[in-house]
Order: sequence, then C-alpha cells, then structure tokens
Amino acid sequence: MLKKRLLVAILAVLVAGLAVTPALTQDDLMGDFTASHYFGGFGGEYIEEIVDDFVAQHEGLNREASPVDHEQFKESILVQLAGNNPPDTFSYWAGGLIQAIVDGERLQPIGDIWEANDLGSQFPQGIIDSALTYNGEIYAVPLTLHWVGMFYNTALFAEHGVMPPTTWDELVAAAETFKMAGIPAFALGSLNRWPGQFWFDMLLLRTAGNAYRQELMNGKASYTDDEVVRAYSMWNDLAQAGYFYPDANAYDWDEAANQVANGEAAMTLMGTWIGGHYESLGLVAGEDFDYFSFPTVDEDIPRASLGPIDTFVVSAAAANPDAAKAFLVHLTDPEIQLKFALGAGNLAPSTAVDPGSYNTVVTRILGEIAADPDFAFNFDLATLPAVAQIGLNSFQEFMANPGDYEGILERVQEAAAAEFAAAM
Amino acid sequence: MLRRHPWIIPASFLALPLLVYFTFVILPTMNSLYYSFTDWSGYGADFNFVGAANFEKIFSDRLFSNAIKNTAIWLALAMTAPTLLGLALALALQGKRKVNTIYKSLFYLPICLSPVIIGIIWVWLYSPKLGIVNLFLRSIGLEDLAIAWLARPNTALIAVFVAWSWQQTGLNMVIFLAGLTSVPAPLVEAAKVDGANYWQTLVKVIIPMLRPATVVVLALTAINALKSFEVIWVMTKGGPFNNSDTLAVFMYSEAFRKLKLGYGSSAAVILFLMTLVIIVLYFRQVAKSDELYE
Repeated sequence: MLKKRLLVAILAVLVAGLAVTPALTQDDLMGDFTASHYFGGFGGEYIEEIVDDFVAQHEGLNREASPVDHEQFKESILVQLAGNNPPDTFSYWAGGLIQAIVDGERLQPIGDIWEANDLGSQFPQGIIDSALTYNGEIYAVPLTLHWVGMFYNTALFAEHGVMPPTTWDELVAAAETFKMAGIPAFALGSLNRWPGQFWFDMLLLRTAGNAYRQELMNGKASYTDDEVVRAYSMWNDLAQAGYFYPDANAYDWDEAANQVANGEAAMTLMGTWIGGHYESLGLVAGEDFDYFSFPTVDEDIPRASLGPIDTFVVSAAAANPDAAKAFLVHLTDPEIQLKFALGAGNLAPSTAVDPGSYNTVVTRILGEIAADPDFAFNFDLATLPAVAQIGLNSFQEFMANPGDYEGILERVQEAAAAEFAAAM
Repeated sequence: MLRRHPWIIPASFLALPLLVYFTFVILPTMNSLYYSFTDWSGYGADFNFVGAANFEKIFSDRLFSNAIKNTAIWLALAMTAPTLLGLALALALQGKRKVNTIYKSLFYLPICLSPVIIGIIWVWLYSPKLGIVNLFLRSIGLEDLAIAWLARPNTALIAVFVAWSWQQTGLNMVIFLAGLTSVPAPLVEAAKVDGANYWQTLVKVIIPMLRPATVVVLALTAINALKSFEVIWVMTKGGPFNNSDTLAVFMYSEAFRKLKLGYGSSAAVILFLMTLVIIVLYFRQVAKSDELYE
C-alpha cells in the first residue's frame, strides 16, 4: 500500500521536476550474465536493448539471452528458482509474489548498492516501503509503475454524447446509452483471467475502501462478508444488464482493447500499458482514446489508485551477483526509466524523471495518483499466490455465470480459508 | 575371465542405458514421490515432511475431484473416438493406390507436429469471430452454434479433446494399417467365398485378427490421454475456471501456479499409479497374445 508518502513524493516531482542522475558502478564486471524478463511488445524490445547496452559497457561480460513468453514466465521462473539455476536478475511484480520468493530465500537483498548509490533519494518513499522492502530489507529496483483506469473510445463517447462518468450512476447511465445504441459498454478480455480482477478490485476499493480490502487480502475478512457481496452484486447488475461484450473469457486483454479501438465496445478497465498498445496501433492519446478514473461509488470511502509495479530483483543463487546488482543500478537511470515508461504508456517510478515528458493522458494520470490518498496492488499481487489463483478462476466463473455470484463467493471463501490456514 | 564371468559383456552394454534410465526416469520419479510427502512450495529453500497429509487432503479437494471427473471423460472419449476413427481411416486407406498414400500422409501429418503447435492451430480454428469452425457454421446457417468454444464451461473440454484427437487419430490409423498388413488375405478371400458380406467379414474376420494392434492402440491412447497436458495448457490452461482441468493440468496448476509443489507432486504420484495400472494391463495382454501366437 502506497500511502501519503507516495502522494507527497509524486507531488514533489510534479512541482520540482528534480533531475538526479544515478551513480553507475564503474567496477570491471566479468563472466556470463543472464537477465530474464516478462515484457512483450515495446517493453520487451526495449528491455533487451537496455540489457545489451549494459553488457556492451562492460567488456568482460557475456550475455546469455533467455527470452520467455509473458504468461509462461510466471511458471518458468519458479522452475528455475527451484532448480537453483535462476537468471542473475529478472523482472518480477512487486507485492505478494516477491514476498513469497523472499520468504523462500530465493532473492538476495540489495541494501549495499542501495546505500552506495543513494537510490533512496530517487524513488518515492511509498514505493520503497510497499514495493521494494520485504522483511525489513530492500530487495528490488522499480522499473515502471502502472495505473488501472477506464480507457475509452473518444469518438464513440462524442458520437453518443456521453461524458466521462464520475459517479456510479453516471457510469450506469453511460452504459445504458451505449446499450440502447447496440454497443456493449464494457470490453473485458478475461481469457488469461487477470483482467477480470480489476473490476473486483475497483468495486471493492470504491465501496469498502482499501483498509477493508487489505484485511480481505490478508485472510482477516471473508469473501462472504457484506462488503464483498455488495461489490459482486453491483458487478452482477452490470453483467445481467448486458453491458459487457459477450464471451469475455474468449478474449485476451489486447483483443478487448481492440474491441474498444474498433468501436465494437465503448470502454475497458485496464492498466496504463494499454496506452502503449494503442499508440503502437497509431492511435493518439487524448484524441483517439482517453481515460477516466473508476467512478466514486460511496463519497465516504477514501479513493485509492490501483496497479502493479514492475521491478528487477537479484537471485540468491545468481552466478554473477555483481553484474546483476550493477544492472539494477543501471535501470535507475532516469533516461532509461522515462524511455521505458513512454514506450509502454506507463509511469516511471524515478523522481528524477521530468513529469512534463509524458503525453497528456499520462500526465493527467500522474495527477490522479497524486490526488488519491491510497495506492493498492491489484488482487493477484496483494494476496497469497494460492488464494490469487482461486480468485482469478472465480472472476472467470463470474463472467460466465454472474447470477451465481453468491455461490461463487462461498466456494472462494472455503478454498481461501483453507489456504490461509495452511500458510499460518 | 570372460569365460568365467560371461555376464560381463551384456552387463557392460546394459550399464550405460541403465544409468541413463535411472538418472532420467527412476530418479525423478522417486524425487516426485519424496516431495509428495512434503509441503515444499517449489521455490523455497526449506520444507517440512508432512507424511500422508497431501494425500489425505487431495481426496477431499473439490478441484481434484473435478480433475478426476474430466480425466475420466477424456479417457472414455479417447478410448472410443480416435480409436474408431483411426480404424475407419485405416480400413478406407489400406492398399497401395496412389491417392491412399496422399491421404495417409495427410492424416499422419498431425503426429509430426508438436502438441503446442496443434494447440495454437486449434485456438485459431476455434476463434469466436474469425475461426474456420464458426465461419463454417455461420455459412451453413447454424449461427446459434457459432459460439466461443474454448470459453464456454460446457464446451471447452470437448473442444480441446477434438484438437487432441486430431493428432491421436493419425497415430491410431498408422498402427491399424500395420495391423491390417498381417491379416492373411486368403482368410478374407475364404470369408467372401463363404458368402460373407463386407460388414460380416470385418466383424468376424478382420477385427478379431486386429486384436494385437487394437491392444497397442488402446494402451497407447490411454497412456497418452492420461498424460495429455500440452494441448490443454496451450488452448485453455484448464479453463475456463477449471472446466478443462485434467489430472496433469491440476498437478501443474497446484505445483507452479499455486506454488504448492509438494501437493502437486501428490497428484503426480496418483497419475503415475493410474498410468502404471494401464501399462501393467497392457503388458499382461501382450504376454497373453504372445502365448496365443506361440
């Protein structure tokens, strides 16, 4: 949870536009070096370029490439960790997943390079506390920050006279307008399960708040609580009304994004990486597509932003830990952070990046994050990995049988309770 | 020395393959068995020995029961559809006509493809809007049947099974074709002379003579069905929401998605035992056939 400190830090950046260049290690690095990641598209190409540049700067290093598909990475990295032959460094999602492998003693802390390069001054304290610090020690360097919002087709909104909704009632009214015009309001591509979580996360954050959600994520609240049932009930109302593009489980997130781009659906709840995807299709941010923050449902509930943070970590069994740590320092270069963020449509965590470098959409999103008092990791990064799998399946099940949401929640609670009990 | 110890030469020839077999088959199997008695996450440095707790838990696990049910459906379909189709193709394409050779090659082609490729091809075929399956259904007026085959809970398993069968049928056809070459032509001719029609000849002469080939087909199909994983993983990853989970997919999901390798290993052990039963039955049947023909 990135609280006020993130807000303060981002506001500070917006105002000051600090320009701090990280100190790169100049030690002679030798031997083979392996860096693995899950980025595809622009991010994949650019991270490859970053690694190659880093290796080129150190004559003694020899890179061993290990490209892995995004979805496959989630399992393959665990196999490598279990086999004690992991890459020296790899990208990983901050939150529950890093916590799990830190607890499994598969990562090494990076406090030495953190102190030596004064990295603490280059990132918001909120990010350092919630995304990089585990069991009291720093384990990761952040590369990019994502934010989840409703991205929409501006032409469709204009054509049907719909303004970006700011309340739940306005959202429902907008959805009804599109339905009357024969256009599904919401595209959701839950083929790979995770996109469905954003609806659950947002509804729960807006109706029950981040504090309750944290309790639920930690097994201290129940999926059959009134708070969760209410969130699902609202989601069910939208689904039963026919506002979603049919067969959500048949499409991946980018197919849902394309449904919006093509005018087959009006909007989709997705992370900022959708901006990179749209720009790769030649669409212009703020002209062809735009966003609005998930509407407020209950005025009394403090708002929270939602999203994942991508980091790089160093394996405990890294064959070349010196090179891995030097690479992590290399990643903190504001130019690298900015280029990665711009290409992928995301935000750079470094406070040394000039906020004026982004397009109008991302610049406004920076303001949204700054305005929200809380920042939460999405469901599958916020709870136990085993519970995350149960939940991700349940979101798919909900999209197939929304009317059975109470039964779904009972089954989720039963399975989640068993996992939390086993993890105690 | 060799005269006194004649076993040295065969033993030395056997040593290397046995070593390879022990390293890559026996050792990993024993390793899985060992981990099935632990609570190892699969990535952590430490784990605890939990005795039979994983096995006690698995039999009350709703998702395990679901995987068993799906595996049973998969196995039942696998033993019938690709077997009968393989036999039908073999009967239709036996003989040395040139056109038969072309068709045999076409039906055999899927065996040459990796299951991952098979999965990707069929994901395209089933694509809700642009897939050939739905385009065909729409073209003949069956708009209502043009559904998202892999996304619907009641069609996903069958849709994936069809893709898997595409490969298995070709393999069965080849085995049956080999079996048909061993059916004595005079026997078939004699049946015809005795007035048997094609159907009677098939049922009373050819199929009984194909018994060894049928045993091989059924055993291989059952083993392949039980261990089928790649096609399912590529096409649905066991989804939507576990509706195409088989035992192999359940095992993988528990081990590598839920990060419970010890628990996943217990599913692997159960799957291994089920496969072992089929292998034992197969070898007993082969032994019986050998006795019959000796």
